[in-house]
Amino acid sequence: MIEEPYRWVEAIATRRDYIEMQLATGSPVVALGYDEGILLLTVGQQKLFEIYDRIALGAIGHPGDIERLRMAAIELASTEGFTRSAADVSLRRLAYYSLSPVMKNAFEQIYGAPFLARLLFVEIGTSPAEDLFLEVEYDGAINLRSSDGGNRPFAVLAATKKSAKEMAEFLSKRFQSAKDLPATLDLALDAWTVGQLRTDEAMTGDDEIRRQRSERLGSGTISAAVLKRNTNRAVRYRAVEASDLAPLIAK
Amino acid sequence: MDGKQALDFGASSDFPSLLRLQGLLAPAAQIGPMNARGEIVPTESTTILAFKFSDGVLVAGDRRATSGNTVVYDRADKVLEIDQRSIMAIAGVPATAWEMARVLEHSFQFFRRTQLQEMSVDGKVRALSKLLRDNFGFALQGVGIVVPIFATYDVKASPSGRLYFYDAMGAQFEATDFAATGSGSPAVRGILYYENTWGKNPLQKISEDEAVVVALRALDTASEADTATGGIDRHAKIFPIMKIVAADGIRTLPEEKIAELFQKRVA
Repeated sequence: MIEEPYRWVEAIATRRDYIEMQLATGSPVVALGYDEGILLLTVGQQKLFEIYDRIALGAIGHPGDIERLRMAAIELASTEGFTRSAADVSLRRLAYYSLSPVMKNAFEQIYGAPFLARLLFVEIGTSPAEDLFLEVEYDGAINLRSSDGGNRPFAVLAATKKSAKEMAEFLSKRFQSAKDLPATLDLALDAWTVGQLRTDEAMTGDDEIRRQRSERLGSGTISAAVLKRNTNRAVRYRAVEASDLAPLIAK
Repeated sequence: MDGKQALDFGASSDFPSLLRLQGLLAPAAQIGPMNARGEIVPTESTTILAFKFSDGVLVAGDRRATSGNTVVYDRADKVLEIDQRSIMAIAGVPATAWEMARVLEHSFQFFRRTQLQEMSVDGKVRALSKLLRDNFGFALQGVGIVVPIFATYDVKASPSGRLYFYDAMGAQFEATDFAATGSGSPAVRGILYYENTWGKNPLQKISEDEAVVVALRALDTASEADTATGGIDRHAKIFPIMKIVAADGIRTLPEEKIAELFQKRVA
């Protein structure tokens, strides 16, 4: 039994190290605003998902844990949308009231298994200023990224804090608003590459990113999805067609 | 939204079960005592029809909602979009029917989101059948009979338009050419059979405009003898709701277009 408080703190710290180590090889996810909505992109196994009409999810972690959290999110959103209306489904409430407490609890119950997952939810609003990028950590911590009135509509999910920081810096420098889908896919893949670099250099040059990009992409499959802002359908989520992704591999 | 409760579910079952688990949907009705007269009360007072034409399937319904001999509402929408390619048209008790449509709509979405693939046409047809079956206890008690038509477009099948009608117990029947349900349906079936067999062209060959004319004439005929069918309200200019499901999805025919064809060919 762990009866003394400091033992508990120690156990939590060990657990944190363990989880960070488990997540350290995850392939980053990039979410990026473009002229018609928001794009999500990653490389590797399928980990971009539709949660509800306006909400999408990207994740890093153990597939089993991602699956449980994804299911929970879909069930919560669907029941809310069914009993009230689609307009009452809110990402903010889903994360703060439902997912975060459960994840925090699992993380701190040191005799139980924590969730080995880091989640990035994206909710598309009626205007870019209302878009929401929300990250939920394995310990239930929530990082709500404001799009700064639509000026910085992007967020990243990376395996380590360092690569997350580098990706965010890269995007801050390169992001231009209202670009079309091909240009945004291109930038997203560059940002993904930056998140994969294991270098200590502050920022790598463009040529180096391009070289690394084709090298790291290798045989990995790019998966991308969009949340479209203006469409006559309630469901905004669409997987990006393979034909739109093909030009990215050639470069 | 109670997170803990939801997280305990593990791998999820279908959406109606999820709703029942949380007490949001009535359990499947037990077959209990019959109504006083000991018979099923057919409260399906309406007329719904659907048939295949050259582009896809046209589904039409009158607008009247009745309670006994009283007209309750004259702008009811009984032709409901369930997803991008599925239409459910309802005859029966509105409360039950609309709830069923809502459950169905959410079930298809829930399936796609959780299973990461679209539900098959057969699966969708069966899902409605299951809801009817669960409701049969209420139907027997005379409080919730629903007899729907389900139309969808299956790119893999030929012809791609698929049309099903059901009975109150949940049996599903695939219609080759047309289906009609509700109190005004006998007249409509007669007309559609006649048009399909001895008309200038079989229904599957006619154009969209022709299809609208056939549907208008059929509903007008049904309302001639059936008080529960609204048909076409010439004074208030209330026209039936018509939707088409085709390769590119569902289209609701604009009222102006229906009105124009009505003036030219029906009135």
